[in-house]
Amino acid sequence: MTENGLRILVVDDERAIRRFLKASLQAHGHLVIEASNGTEALAAAAEQHPDLIVLDLGLPDLDGIEITRRLRDWTHIPIIILSVRDQESEKIAALDAGADDYLTKPFGIGELMARLRVAMRHITTTHDEPVYQFEALQIDLAHRRVTLNGQEVALTPTEYDLLRLLAKNAGRVLTHHYLLREVWGSGYQTETHLLRVNVSNLRHKIEVDPDQPRLVLTEPGVGYRFRANEQ
Amino acid sequence: MKHLLKERFSALLTRLKDPAQWLNGRRLRRFLGSIALVLLVTLIGLPLEIFLHPTNLVMLYLAAVVVTALYLGRSAAILASVLSVLAFDYVFVAPRFTLNVSDTEYLVTFLGLLVVGLVISNTTAVVREQFQAAEQRERNATALNLLSRDLTVAVGLDEMLQAVLHHVGQTFKREVVVWLPQNNHLIVQAASPGFRVDDAEQNTAAWAYEHNQPAGRGTEILSHARGRYLPLETARGVLGVLGIEPLDETTLLTTEQRQLLDSFARLAAMAIERAHLAEQASQALVLRQTEKLQSALLNSISHDLRTPLASITGILSTLRESESGRPGEQEPGSWPANSLDPATRAELLESASEEAARLNRLVGNLLDMTRLEGGALRLSIDLCDVRDLVGAALAQLGDRLNQHPLRTAIPQELPLVPMDFVLMVQVLSNLLDNAAKYSPEGAPIEVTAQIVEQGSKLAGPAVEMAVFDRGMGIPSADLKHVFEKFYRVHRPDGVQGTGLGLSISRGIVEAHGGRIWASQREAGGSIITVALPLHASSPLQETSRND
Repeated sequence: MTENGLRILVVDDERAIRRFLKASLQAHGHLVIEASNGTEALAAAAEQHPDLIVLDLGLPDLDGIEITRRLRDWTHIPIIILSVRDQESEKIAALDAGADDYLTKPFGIGELMARLRVAMRHITTTHDEPVYQFEALQIDLAHRRVTLNGQEVALTPTEYDLLRLLAKNAGRVLTHHYLLREVWGSGYQTETHLLRVNVSNLRHKIEVDPDQPRLVLTEPGVGYRFRANEQ
Repeated sequence: MKHLLKERFSALLTRLKDPAQWLNGRRLRRFLGSIALVLLVTLIGLPLEIFLHPTNLVMLYLAAVVVTALYLGRSAAILASVLSVLAFDYVFVAPRFTLNVSDTEYLVTFLGLLVVGLVISNTTAVVREQFQAAEQRERNATALNLLSRDLTVAVGLDEMLQAVLHHVGQTFKREVVVWLPQNNHLIVQAASPGFRVDDAEQNTAAWAYEHNQPAGRGTEILSHARGRYLPLETARGVLGVLGIEPLDETTLLTTEQRQLLDSFARLAAMAIERAHLAEQASQALVLRQTEKLQSALLNSISHDLRTPLASITGILSTLRESESGRPGEQEPGSWPANSLDPATRAELLESASEEAARLNRLVGNLLDMTRLEGGALRLSIDLCDVRDLVGAALAQLGDRLNQHPLRTAIPQELPLVPMDFVLMVQVLSNLLDNAAKYSPEGAPIEVTAQIVEQGSKLAGPAVEMAVFDRGMGIPSADLKHVFEKFYRVHRPDGVQGTGLGLSISRGIVEAHGGRIWASQREAGGSIITVALPLHASSPLQETSRND
């Protein structure tokens, strides 16, 4: 796996955060490149070829959204955004600009490592797996068949498309915009109620307890995330 | 005074140019009245002629002149004097029924009658005018009194201005307008329904405001304007402009009316000043309360921030100290006095993380509170799934609910509800956190949601979400106060908290046009209910935006 020995670019203007990230990431066997502002970050990304970027949203010179946009002009390397609470609209903007995921400060190193694994898995998985298995839920893409505990689940075409999209991106947050655009089409990007109704119906069909979902998780104000299979 | 003369002169000119207009209905009626009186006196005189010498009949004519002067005014009395002489000559003086006079002695009588008639006309008319002026003054005083009374009881600027419009409009029978400055620009603050604003009126009012002088109709400045504009002046300067516009083009104000209008303007100016001062006073009060709040906030913060910081610092220093004497560097198997066994280390680390999480929640709460207080809270309203809301709140609380069995009762067919999802998750997780905090370990917590079409605490249909606990409950005296800032029900065991959570929740719920309340639960525990309107009211939809 590429999950060990990654070159990780950490961009944050707070020295304490960089120090803590460097120490923990190195302890996990990764190599850390540091940048304290946007200009440095863009230069380091171009010159040092990192495998992944951990990017703080609030930098003194360029904001994280702008940096994401500029990086996405030429590279697909995974970008994980660091933000604080109440930056929902900026988080969404960064995700829509092409960031892979986000973490809200303060966070534990365990959460960061999980996001990192998901982001790396996503970039290394090039072919669709024919069958996804999440606990008792099985999604057979080749046959468009979804079963729960071996029982076939009857999904509407929209629910199936939604589930397939979420499952293929398991562990990653998908914004409302993205889901609406991919499942319904570009004219529906603001019709979030369609999404909410379908997610609610989907949960009733695939969750053990739809009141406390374990598979389709809500990221308040941002979107949804399908539970990742921890390997 | 100069412009007054000028105006009188121009009134005279109009009169000459258009006699028909000068001889309006009222004046014509008066002249007809005086002619009728002279005719009447002549008719009365005819039978009396048998007993009286013709010269004594003159007295009857004089009486007619006096009556005319008293009731019909000066011009009618002068007409009556002249007509009296003519009628007397024509009817009673020989040769009769001609204007010729055979006895020249009667010329003296004529002259006497004319002169006395004219003098009486004038004197009586002066008396009449003085009487009328006194009456007018009394009416003016009453009008001013009425305005002043209404201004005294009026609350706020708008009510005061309405009183000014009403009284000025009624007294002068004209359109009324009040202009007040806003950002260095005069705007119509209040106006009677018939008043139309255009550039000419705006400029005239602005001139009056800037130069602190009357302008517009009937003045020397911008006199082509439809309205007459008076600056509203107080000791603090010009506060605005009062304008009146006649209903028809020709009527002009009399001197008395001008003076009365000036008095009205002074009263209005004082009232506006008073309204401004009252507003400033209330702002000062708000400021004082804000300061009080801030000092309370500071006290609370310094305590609530320091407590977890103290534990974290303590734990870190303990761990660091023990680090210098870890087993392995010492003889294997023997634990130095200042070292920690792995179980204690794990416990301390766990405790430090919990305290850090608490600090984070506290900072979040303070941030929310500041936003609510500062009015910077912007709702992002969207149709949301209540079940999703409950699920997200439960997910946000994570392990903190572990000690309590949780039951949810949310009906299948619940419509989507307009709300700011992120903020409502905050509300619900605050309520759940409280329920967990104030309940003994193992006590169940329930979350319910239902549609209440009617009879909710809101006007229209609402969705009511409630969190039930089996904790120690809230004393009935505290039920109303638990949502106040920093209010905490006194607990013997000192549960941690700032008393901000419920207050923030109330702020958020009320920003949605909803209500939140606490009640006691039968057989112990408490219920906190949140009601949100099922249909967003218009102000909410205005703030709605889709990112």
